[in-house]
Amino acid sequence: MSDEPLLSVRDLEVVFHTERERIHAVDGVTFEIREGQTVGLVGESGSGKSVTARSILGLVDEPGRIEGGEILYRGEDLTEDNWADHRGDIAIVFQDPTNSLNPVYTIGNQIEEALRIHQDLRGRAATDRAIELLEDVGIPDAPRRVDEYPHQLSGGMAQRAVIAMALACDPDLLVCDEPTTALDVTIQAQILDLLAELQAEQDLAILFITHDMGVIEDATDWVNVIYAGEVVERAPTEALFDHPAHPYTRALLESIPGRTDPDERLPTIEGEVPTPTGPATDCRFAPRCPEAFEDCRSVAPEHVSLDGDRSAACLLHDPARSDGGERQ
Amino acid sequence: MAGAHGPSSDAADDEVTPETASTILPTESPTLVWVGLGAGLLAFEVGALATFLVAILSDTLAAASLPGVGFVEGIEAAARQLPTLLSRETVPNEGYWNGQRWVGTFLGLRPEVAWGIRVALVYLYALAVAGWAVLGYRLYRREYRAADWTPRDDVIDRFRNHGWGLFGLAVVFMFVVMAVFAPALGPTTVDKNMRNSYDNELTYWDAETDSVETILVGEANLASQSRGDGEERVGPMEYDDFGRFHPFGTLPTGRDLFTFIAVGSRISLVIGLLSVGLSVGVATSLALIGAYYKGRVDLGMVLVSDGVMAMPQLLLLIMLTTVLKDTWVAGLYSGAFLLALIFAFTGWTYMWRSLRGPALQVSERQWIDAAKSFGQRPRTIMRQHMLPYITGYLLIYGSMTLGGAIIAIAGLSFLGLGVSPPTPEWGRAVNLGQEYVDTGSWHISLIPGLLITLVVTGFNALGDGIRDAIDPRSDAAGSDADDGAAAGRGGGA
Repeated sequence: MSDEPLLSVRDLEVVFHTERERIHAVDGVTFEIREGQTVGLVGESGSGKSVTARSILGLVDEPGRIEGGEILYRGEDLTEDNWADHRGDIAIVFQDPTNSLNPVYTIGNQIEEALRIHQDLRGRAATDRAIELLEDVGIPDAPRRVDEYPHQLSGGMAQRAVIAMALACDPDLLVCDEPTTALDVTIQAQILDLLAELQAEQDLAILFITHDMGVIEDATDWVNVIYAGEVVERAPTEALFDHPAHPYTRALLESIPGRTDPDERLPTIEGEVPTPTGPATDCRFAPRCPEAFEDCRSVAPEHVSLDGDRSAACLLHDPARSDGGERQ
Repeated sequence: MAGAHGPSSDAADDEVTPETASTILPTESPTLVWVGLGAGLLAFEVGALATFLVAILSDTLAAASLPGVGFVEGIEAAARQLPTLLSRETVPNEGYWNGQRWVGTFLGLRPEVAWGIRVALVYLYALAVAGWAVLGYRLYRREYRAADWTPRDDVIDRFRNHGWGLFGLAVVFMFVVMAVFAPALGPTTVDKNMRNSYDNELTYWDAETDSVETILVGEANLASQSRGDGEERVGPMEYDDFGRFHPFGTLPTGRDLFTFIAVGSRISLVIGLLSVGLSVGVATSLALIGAYYKGRVDLGMVLVSDGVMAMPQLLLLIMLTTVLKDTWVAGLYSGAFLLALIFAFTGWTYMWRSLRGPALQVSERQWIDAAKSFGQRPRTIMRQHMLPYITGYLLIYGSMTLGGAIIAIAGLSFLGLGVSPPTPEWGRAVNLGQEYVDTGSWHISLIPGLLITLVVTGFNALGDGIRDAIDPRSDAAGSDADDGAAAGRGGGA
């Protein structure tokens, strides 16, 4: 691994301005991705995962705005309106494949659109390259499929086509925003395999955004757990699954079916993710946290380094606050 | 056209390759045949087309007082020499009775028959052109398009089963054909019968003296006026004293009503298309830009359109037509161009309001984000990825607004505003006949009035049909029609 990360997000703040309040959808998210690495961003619905993904690509629409922090791509801050210079270096795969393909154009047309912009290919050359890309993502009978419309493809095939479209930009970083959520389980596994394969072949870095801990365990090297717009724990995948440091991570892992005794009721996390409307003054997970204590309601926890490179934002790990010290 | 994929291709199924077997024209090279048919059809009208195009060019040059008018006039004269098979010269209906037979009419037939033949030929020709276009589409669908099926096919199928929409299409077709072929349809011409009636002579059979006489058209008109009952009228499908046939009767000035209406339909259509075209252009661009950039851009547009909507349209029309009376803009096409501009200026707001919702909806689709993410230019995203989703709405609202524009033009002419006389306009015919509605000369107001109603209903019906066809939830057969009213009713002026 090189010293400089491929992408480094620092203290990212994305605020949505509504008539009544300012919603801090992303509130100080920090993480980095190195070349060829797969990094997961996991959290519940409404935790700010997708907004983070969209920020990286400069796709935050009104009324949302990036109000702080930086997104460094190879050391260059994208938030200073540098997205145009790096279009194609970062590509995105969205959740619903049937919605990310324009139904009025053929698959080939849409891949060729990206090829025209990023590789300056036109006509026959573009079609040939599109067919190659479709073959790369494992679409059988690609020369025929290239002329088909999105509605003629199954969900899994369509998602492969979307991935081909992303690859047409020849990206260094692929942002996958819940790429398997809309697919059924067997297809999910195929798409995950495909992504792993592509990564190995093309030395892609992948940012994997999902709420599915199972997918994270299968696919990623490194995980960032996000809660209410903040990263609460970051750790290598294996270490996280072995020893979750943050109570929220523990709760998430416990709620995966199959990890608990089959006779027991599957644990859930009571309540829902709060919508942050101001700067943090407490631990946002405290109301739902089984291990919360007095200070949790009055102090916003900072990240505490734990063994290895990992860290967690929890007072339980802050030696000054908690008598518990390092609990695992 | 349904029978076009004919028996020979079925019979030869064993020998021919699958491609030729599936053609709708029983030939090896259907495209060539199709192009040939098109060229053949065009040949009938090449003279008229050339004259028309050159006339537009010379009008524009003259209006903008640019050089080259003389040169263009030369071309115009040359264009007139080109043959036109469906012209009034080929099938003339104007002639006179010389005591034994009709002189100067087509094959010596009676004027009404000669005129009827010409009208029938024009409509047959138009049908043939329409059929040719349908054939071309089917050819493309079978031979060239890669996909067997696209959502648009369903739209067309639904429209084909939509009786009310088909009625609208038929009416609009008749109207458009009337407008396009106006000079060939009238029993006489605007120039001869109205504009320069005292420069043209007319030969006729004088029953009193039993001889062939000549008279100025203007004087003949004075003797053919419709101003009351009995002797004082020339009603629909009647001859006047000078052997001239009047399919719709005459105006109070003695001029031919059918000619008046045919040429008037042209000006209505031109103003309608121009104003709707302009407002569609403005509304679409603004809707796409607003939906793409959202936020303040969109808000600004809401404010501007509210401002324009707040202006009273009729007062603005009256004011602007008066203020701009002597400028070159008002001179273009007897003031029709100016009217179209004003209609477009006041009309785009309604169209934009109707398009804004669908455009905003499309802008939220993920393929827009996908295109943004790989760096597609905003203009291309708007054109390629958003526009196709609002064209359906454009057709619906465009069709309905066109009907509204036609009513508005007629209304203005009725009030004596807008298109300046003597250029024919339907509303003026209604106005001219007002005094005589309770006499035998009822036809003057009634016929143009009925036609306006019919045409506007036709355009609205067409809009309804398109809307139901585009909405996949609507069942054209009508089993659950109320389910599909999603695309929004109304939208006319």
